[in-house]
This record gives sequence, structure tokens and C-alpha cells, in this order.
Amino acid sequence: MEMFIQTLVSGILIGGIYALIGIGMTLIMGVMKIINLAHGQLMMVAMYITFVCHQYLGLDPYFALFIAMPCLFVLGAAIQKYLLNPLLKVDSILPENQVLMTVGIGMVLTEVMRFIFHSDYRSIETGYSSTAFYLGGISFNLPMFVAFGIALLLTLGLFLFLLKTDVGKSVRATAQNMDAAMILGINAHWITILTYGLGSALVAAAGTLLLPIYYLFPDIGGPFTLKAFVITMLGGMGSTVGAIVGGVVLGVAESLGATYIAMSLKDAVAMVIFLLVLIFLPGGLKKLTKV
Amino acid sequence: MMKKLVMTVMMIVLCALLAAPSVWARETIKVGIVLPLTGGQAAFGEIERNSFEMALAEINSTKLLGDKKLEFIFEDDTGKPEVARSAAEKLITKDQVVMLGGGYGSSETFAIAGVAQQSAIPFLVNTGSADKITEQGWDYVYRLNPAASDYPMGLETFLTEVVKPKTAAILYEDSNFGSSSSKSFETTCKRLGINVVLSENYSKGGVDFKPLLVKVKQANPDLVYMISYLMDASLLMGQSMELRITPKLFVGGAAGFTLPEFPKKAGKASENVFSATLWYQTLPYPGAMEYFNNYGKKYGKETEYHGAEAYAAAYVIADTLKRAKSLSRPDVKAALSATDMMTVFGPVKFTSYDKKINQNKLPTYLVQWIDGKLELVWPKKIASKPFIYPIDFEKTWK
Repeated sequence: MEMFIQTLVSGILIGGIYALIGIGMTLIMGVMKIINLAHGQLMMVAMYITFVCHQYLGLDPYFALFIAMPCLFVLGAAIQKYLLNPLLKVDSILPENQVLMTVGIGMVLTEVMRFIFHSDYRSIETGYSSTAFYLGGISFNLPMFVAFGIALLLTLGLFLFLLKTDVGKSVRATAQNMDAAMILGINAHWITILTYGLGSALVAAAGTLLLPIYYLFPDIGGPFTLKAFVITMLGGMGSTVGAIVGGVVLGVAESLGATYIAMSLKDAVAMVIFLLVLIFLPGGLKKLTKV
Repeated sequence: MMKKLVMTVMMIVLCALLAAPSVWARETIKVGIVLPLTGGQAAFGEIERNSFEMALAEINSTKLLGDKKLEFIFEDDTGKPEVARSAAEKLITKDQVVMLGGGYGSSETFAIAGVAQQSAIPFLVNTGSADKITEQGWDYVYRLNPAASDYPMGLETFLTEVVKPKTAAILYEDSNFGSSSSKSFETTCKRLGINVVLSENYSKGGVDFKPLLVKVKQANPDLVYMISYLMDASLLMGQSMELRITPKLFVGGAAGFTLPEFPKKAGKASENVFSATLWYQTLPYPGAMEYFNNYGKKYGKETEYHGAEAYAAAYVIADTLKRAKSLSRPDVKAALSATDMMTVFGPVKFTSYDKKINQNKLPTYLVQWIDGKLELVWPKKIASKPFIYPIDFEKTWK
């Protein structure tokens, strides 16, 4: 029983970080209708920013959040403005050109980081990396717990932003129908830039929170892009609540799979769930919750 | 007129540039070394390259090869077998090296060994330890370090004489080195009457090993044996501490567990962890301590068994080339086969046993992290510090 609860707890905690990774992608996908395949790579860039802040400025990773998030917001907005939006203007053969562009951006980001930092594994040493507290023999990793809390807060914030503010409503309007939104006087061009910036800033938060418990090298992005994609499909495009549920479901499924099947098959477990959702619940959990 | 003059001068310069390397080449003997200089295993690659370079400087300054100069050409395998393969091919065809050295990860070493055998060029492996590398009947492949299955030999007597565990759990990376080591450790356990209650593999790069470790906690074994590279090793120990898994002892199967970076990332979770090892600086081999001190002085870092392997390999290469009748591949191979010398890593002599050929056989040892320092603790006769056992993990982890 203790084994089951411990597995569940670590699954939920890692799920919080997964949710934070997925939520940015789901936002971008909801508004622009494109899969951002540079998502994990953007997270990797944020992790390097955090690493540099910690290594050379002595900043705690939690303070580095306030540097990494704005930096990535600017980077994301610039990518959308100067690299993705211009593609819309060109009558191209492939409507998926933007997606292909994100693949290229991901590669460039990886290689730029490799050029600067080499392929070496980096990690930061904080006093609390392996700190845990215990409830009835079950261990809760402190940095993961904090990350989970911040993920919830950011989701809530994003949810309120989309629901209550004018800009948020414009984002939702653009997501529902870009042409209609433009006719009603919404600057959809600007909204896409804002959305990509926000999505990047959110994944930056995930990267910064992940660094104290993990390590870093330039190729780290790929697997996380895949995770974000699975979460987005699980939760449903554009659904913030769906992303957090999807993240936790993925985390728990991986953990249970690792405990009761085999650790080396944990990614296979996630993929099976992904397939099941695609077959039986296309549109994801959003279909059930409607938010 | 002016144009012609400029052209002529340029041609002369060009000819001089082209001719220069060939003039040099007559006096230099080139040997190709493939190591992971970037990527996940770069920490190991760096220690080995530094050691190769240190040995090279000594070999050339003491004129070990007479008036000929030895040159090592390093290639990066980035920790990927396919890159290792093309790196080896480049060294053989483009750089025209007389023999190959290096080889860190087992999967990469296996790829290089295949190329070496095909091209009939002698290859001295200094680290890649999966058993199958010398079990293919590849007569151009020689291995300086013991095979992975020999790693726990030093641990064996410690277990029978001191710990006497009844149960064991094995965690290993699903790579060549990992599965090769775990299989042999399982056989060892069977022979010693230790019940293996859990044997689990994982793929490298996981964030959360807790689902794997809860199983270990549930099984509550006397001994946890882990075969991992650097980052996984640190995460595994850190998370074991988090879950308060308290077997009688944790033992690492060398690789990630002996590097100076291991305690840096794992912190106090690394304290009192045992590891199999192939070498320690206080071993009674001529020059071992001297090498250890010189390395520290030159690079401002500590070295460990991987470095010693590389340093010894450099000397074996120099010795081979000195004895070789000519620099043709068969002659170099014959000289390498006849190697019988003492190095900082121990005596080097290639023999055949079991299914292995051209394999150097050496004893292995047990080390332990005591107060953040790696100490040789077993066999007792040559220990640098008495081992800490039994271990009170609650106290160590506070």
C-alpha cells in the first residue's frame, strides 16, 4: 500500500511540472492552431538562463524565474513576430509551414546552446535539491512540491487572465475564429505574438523549476517537446484546466508504469495512453469538462 | 608583369605549405584516440584525454621513441556509437594513423572495434568494458582494462568476509555495459548464495527514479548494487536518500560512482557509498602515486581509475611502437601482442581466457566515499583507510 501511495505521490508531483510544460503549448496550439515543436528547446534555453544566473550571479533558481520568464517572453514574441507570422503572408504550398519552421527553430536553439556551452551535462547545487518532508512515511520532494504549487498558481492566473480580462477575451476570440476577431477590431497579429510570448514564458517557468532536481544539456529539449505534445492532446487544445489534468495523468501513468511494469517501459506507457485518448476521446479531456 | 610575380610568390608559398606537413610526417608517428569529449560522458572523456596528453608530453620529452615524435589525434565520439564509427574511419583513412586507442563507452568501443577489425588496424581499448568486445574473435582488438564481469571481483571477498548479505537488488542502465555487468553480478550472487530479490533496468535520462526505488524499498534488500553513469548515479543516490532506503550498503559498479563529480551533485547522499574500482593511487604500482600527484598539480583536479587507464594506455602504445619492427599494421600488431610491461595501472599482458582474446587480466578493488573523499577500503592489506561498516544511514543523511 505504501508503495502504491508513494508511486502516486511522485507521479502527481512530477505531473505538476509536466503540466507547466504542457500549458504553454496548449495555449499556442489553441490560438495559432500550430504544434510548437520548439517547445522543449525553449525550455532548455530557459534552463541555461537559470544556470547562468545561478553560476555567475549566485541567484537562487526561484529568483531566476523573474529573469528567465521575461527573457523567454521576449524571445518567444520575437520568434512569432519575425519568423512565424511572415510565413502567413506567403501563399505557400504547405499550410504546415509554420510547424516546419518551429522544428527548425528548435534545432537552431539546440545548436546555439551547444556552441556556447558544449554538450556537457550541467547541474546546479542548491541546499534543497534532495530535501524532502514526510507524511506518514511517504516522502514529498520539496522542490517538486514547490513546482507543483507554482504550476497550479500559474494555471489559475492564466485561467483568470483568459476569462476576466479584455486582452484575455481577445485571445479567446482569436482562438475561436481569427477572421471574425479581426473583423471585430481585434489586432489578431498582436495577439499571436502575445500568445507565443506567454507560452514561452510558461515553459521557461517549468525549466527553471526543473533545474534544481534535474540536470541540463543541449539535447534535453526533444523528449520534453514530446511530453508537452502528449499533454496537449490529453487535455485538449487551448484548455488550461485540461493541461494540468493531462500533466498529472501523464505523470501518474508513467510512475505507475515504472513501478508495476518496468522503468525502461515508462515512455511506452505514456504513448499507449496517448493512443487511447486519440482513439476513444479525440479532442481530449476538454470534451468532458468544456473548459 | 606584377601579376605574374604575385602568382609565382603565391605558388611558392602554397607549395611550401603543402610540403611542410609531409616533412614533419616523417618524424611523427600518428595514433588516433577516440573519446567522448562532449556529451553525457564528457566528464570521463576529459579525465582520459588529460591523462593521454600528460603521458604524451613525458614520452616525447624523455625521447622514449628515439628521434621520432609520437602524436595523438583525438576524435570526439559524443557518446554515440554511430559517431564513434565515423570518427574511427576518419582516423584510419584521412589521418592514416598507425593504430587506434581510446574507447570509453562500451557501445562506442564496440563500434570502433568493428571498424578496426575490418580495416585490420590494431586497437588498444582502455575503458570500454562490456565482455562481448573481446569475445568476438577480433584479433586486432586488445583490451587494457578488465572486462565488466570482473568488476565485482574485489567486492566478492568483502561480501563473504564482512557483510554476508542474504538479499540483493540490482539496478542497471539498459546499455551494453549495464546489462553485461548486471548479468555477471547476478552470477556472482548465485555463487555466493545471495538471493537477488530485484533486478531492474532503466533507460538513462529519467527525472524521477522514485517509482523504481519504491520497489527497492519494498523488497528491503541487504545490498543495493547499481550500474550507472554519472548523472543517473547522482540522481539515484539522492532519491534513495529521499525515500530513506536503508540497506546494509549501497555499492556502485564503478563508472559513475568514482568520479569527483559524483559527490558534487549527490551531496551527502554520496557519503559512505561503496563502489567497485579498477585502480587506486596508493596501489603498489611504480609511478601510480606520482601520476596521481602530477595530474592534480597540472589540472587542479583529482583523477581516478579512468585517467590511470588512459595514462597506462599511452605508455603501452609508446612501448609497442618502440618495439615494432616497422610501422606496418602487422608489425605493430605483433608488437602489441608481445606487450609485457609494468604501468601505473598494473602489469599489462594480453592473454586469452574463457571466450576472451587479447584481454589483460587485473584484480579489482573496492572504494568508499568517506568524508567526501574516495578511499581504498578493500582488500584490507592495501587499504588507504579502514572501511565504514555497518553504516548508520539515518546519521549520515541528517
